[in-house]
Amino acid sequence: MRSKSGFAGFIVFVLLVLIAVIGPLFTPQLVTDVTAVYLPPSGAHWLGTDSEGRDILVQMINGGRPVILVGVLAGAISTLIAIVFGSLGAYLGGWVDSVIVSVTDIVLTVPQIILLAVLASLYTLDSPWLLAVILGAFAWPYLLRSVRAQVFSLKEREYVEAAQLLDLGTPHILFREILPNMASFIMMNFVVTMTNAIYALVGLYFLGLAPIVDDNWGAMLNKAWTRGAIFFSDSLFYVLAPIIAISILQLSLVTMTRSFEEILNPRLRQS
Amino acid sequence: MEPILSVRDLVVEYRTAAGPVRAVRGVSFDLYPHESLALIGESGCGKTTLGLALLRLLPKLGSVSSGEVRYRRRDGEVVDLLKLSREELRRFRWSEAAMVFQGSMNSLNPLLRVRDQMRDTVRAHRRMPADELGRLVEDVLRKVQLDPERVLPAYPHELSGGMKQRVLIAMSLLLDPQILVLDEPTTALDIRTQRAIVDVLHELRAQLGFAMIFVSHDLPLAAELADRVATMYAGRIIELGGVRDLFYQPRHPYTVGLLGAVPSVVGDLSELASIPGGPPSLLALPSGCPFQPRCGYAEADCEAAEPDLAAVGAGHTAACHHRDRVTYTRKPATAGPASDEKVASGG
Amino acid sequence: MVASDTEPVIRPALLRRITARIYHIYVVRRVLKSILTVYLVATGTFFLVRLLPGNPVQVYINTQMSQYGISYQDAASQAAGLFSFNPNRPLPEQYWEYLTGMLHGDLGQSLLSPSTSVLQIVFEYLPWTVFSVGLGVLISCGLGSLLGMLMAYRRGGWIDHTLSLISSLLHSIPNYLLAMLIVVFFGVQLDVLPIAQMRGAYSPGVTPEFSLDFISDAMYHASLPITVYVLTTIGGWMLVMKASTVDTLSEDFITVARARGLRDSRIASAYVGRNAVLPVFPQLAITLGFVVGGSILVEQVFQYQGIGFLLLQSVQRRDYPVLQGILLVVTIAVVAANLVSDLLYSRLDPRVRGAGGESS
Repeated sequence: MRSKSGFAGFIVFVLLVLIAVIGPLFTPQLVTDVTAVYLPPSGAHWLGTDSEGRDILVQMINGGRPVILVGVLAGAISTLIAIVFGSLGAYLGGWVDSVIVSVTDIVLTVPQIILLAVLASLYTLDSPWLLAVILGAFAWPYLLRSVRAQVFSLKEREYVEAAQLLDLGTPHILFREILPNMASFIMMNFVVTMTNAIYALVGLYFLGLAPIVDDNWGAMLNKAWTRGAIFFSDSLFYVLAPIIAISILQLSLVTMTRSFEEILNPRLRQS
Repeated sequence: MEPILSVRDLVVEYRTAAGPVRAVRGVSFDLYPHESLALIGESGCGKTTLGLALLRLLPKLGSVSSGEVRYRRRDGEVVDLLKLSREELRRFRWSEAAMVFQGSMNSLNPLLRVRDQMRDTVRAHRRMPADELGRLVEDVLRKVQLDPERVLPAYPHELSGGMKQRVLIAMSLLLDPQILVLDEPTTALDIRTQRAIVDVLHELRAQLGFAMIFVSHDLPLAAELADRVATMYAGRIIELGGVRDLFYQPRHPYTVGLLGAVPSVVGDLSELASIPGGPPSLLALPSGCPFQPRCGYAEADCEAAEPDLAAVGAGHTAACHHRDRVTYTRKPATAGPASDEKVASGG
Repeated sequence: MVASDTEPVIRPALLRRITARIYHIYVVRRVLKSILTVYLVATGTFFLVRLLPGNPVQVYINTQMSQYGISYQDAASQAAGLFSFNPNRPLPEQYWEYLTGMLHGDLGQSLLSPSTSVLQIVFEYLPWTVFSVGLGVLISCGLGSLLGMLMAYRRGGWIDHTLSLISSLLHSIPNYLLAMLIVVFFGVQLDVLPIAQMRGAYSPGVTPEFSLDFISDAMYHASLPITVYVLTTIGGWMLVMKASTVDTLSEDFITVARARGLRDSRIASAYVGRNAVLPVFPQLAITLGFVVGGSILVEQVFQYQGIGFLLLQSVQRRDYPVLQGILLVVTIAVVAANLVSDLLYSRLDPRVRGAGGESS
């Protein structure tokens, strides 16, 4: 990590994730207080209160975990699909590869959120596993293409030596060659997929397409919208807080991946 | 006769991560009208940098730190190319001196047809009605033995390497320049195409009479095309003279080494005499004469001071403290009894 | 094979060669691929709506039967009209009916207003999204590419750094969140924009027609969604164009162009620009799909009655035929956009037109 902004992004990212995952262990119970509705920030409530008088800061800290967890799951699922099918397609070639490429192109073409909306209409998306699977099911095309390209180029190299290797050895070697080479790239893609999944998930909650079971960031936005909190100046933080949290998450991610990109593509570096 | 190009003490630096590096360390020479000068040397000796510097085409990290490049225009006026403004330089380029680059693979815009690129070149300098322009372009293509009908509507990727190189040569002649600089004109081409290009260049020089500087590592090419030859080493010219003088009586040990390293096509493949060691890093040049670590004639004074070019004959200079001692015997190119034997036994 | 059979023996081989040659033409391959994509999505939708357990058709039939006590046959016939295929018939026939119906423009009828055809409804809402998304993506791409090129030419300068920073910031905010921020800040807090008035695709009482008044009114209402689309996607273009221009500037033919004494303006447009802009085209199609997807969110925030708005409405009301129709129409639109951008790319880059122009 040579770039300063990239490193800063990395730190912020890790911090956010830590707070979201570990924070909820330390937060007090939420108290519903109808007399303290939409209070502006004060000593007692650092970010004010929501439509039910509950503290926003607490909700913010609590609200990250469900969303990030699903995001991580979705990221993992899509990364797995991408790696497995990308290398399979490149390694086996022929019609298997053609099928994989075609499916990839199709999934890439149809807008993800629209498919999600249609699925949401048919099934109740309450379990985090189900959400993660659905989100991960459409996010793999980019990474698959890159993995496939890498395996292709490696396959060319290994071809000469393959004649001297046992058949059993080649896939084993491919996997031992690919992973170290692509580790950083895969990591980066995982993080990007994870964040995109979070964004899509929050969107689903916001639109009311996924049932709200706990106080996560998406739920906060949904309530803010449906209860008209956007249109009152007092309830500013109710809307602003989750937005800022998600934006900071993406911003730290973007700076991180930008500096990653500069490392991988030396021509973008300043001399 | 007045020279058409006079280079004096040219120094070119590159900015690198390890600090500034001098790729050209004080080069001086003259180019006379209609003559052909070859710049010969190994990779990294600075010959390409020198070629680029003459037209101020150095990449971003390179710059001319000192020296003069004086050019005599057709009207007799002499200008220092290094002092020209951007617009003056743009107008100078191609109409007075043109350059044909190394590796013709990527010298043409892949998205434009040849005819459009030719047109661009002319239009940037002259106003010409379309039909006159068309005739000029077709004319110049025929001069390099290309069929205009085939080449003009084509995209660069549709042409072979040899054809592209000829297109580039043709393009360089569009504005009838006084000087043509060629960087490795035959590298990356197969033998037959090389031959064709060399023939074309001969023809063109005879017909149009431009002065030519060509940069190469290919000695036999220099023997064919050059009137004068300069050998370069570690950023300086270390020998300069007429082609016959240099090839028959080289006076710098490096030139001798280069000549000795060319295997003969005829006769036995006797031991290849290569020059021991490798070219020095420009970041850490040896003290005194840069060739001294690899030189068979080296002595104490060679390490002490770097030699300048000094006369060894009429129009022949060499930069060596011991130039008077340097000798070279060419191996006779005859087939001896040993090779007859090989042929007889059916090899 | 008798001697007189030699003629038919030659023809199949010739036919095969002709087919192969046609297939080699890039355009044909590309169009076939698009048709295949649409076909697959249509089939997928059919599968979702008809074949999965608890599918809407079954639910509808059951509801009709239990609520109105009609027979299975009658309920099925009703469903046939609504869903554009008859559940009574065997499955392959349903599928065939569905496909042929599609080709004729029969996508069924809305569950909630059974006399209105789905196609009709979709085409009421679609133009608004096409208008706002199309305009947004074009502005964003055009402006972003120019800025990206500028950043590459002035690499390391203050323009480069500022624009990089701005694009990073913009890139970080999901589009609907930016939309909400705009509403919150400019609409409510600072009271600069008349948010209430800007809702919807056009002001109430104004009739859609090709008059200047209407167009300016439509622009007024579309300005906020368009702004959001532009701001959230421009960062991507700037980055792509900058990287591509940086790569192109280091190419040999640019040095040669300078050596030829070409004017800087000519080099920037026909030599650098044309080459650097190539990677933008595949990106264009992907971005379009992405923004269309985002329209479901942005249109909700601004209450803009486009296809995204309709989609959400239909989901909430469980109006399945309409949903099916939207999915199909959006897919066709995005696939068509992809096709156009790929064909444009092959027009611009003559190297692709030869045999085997793989885009990946």
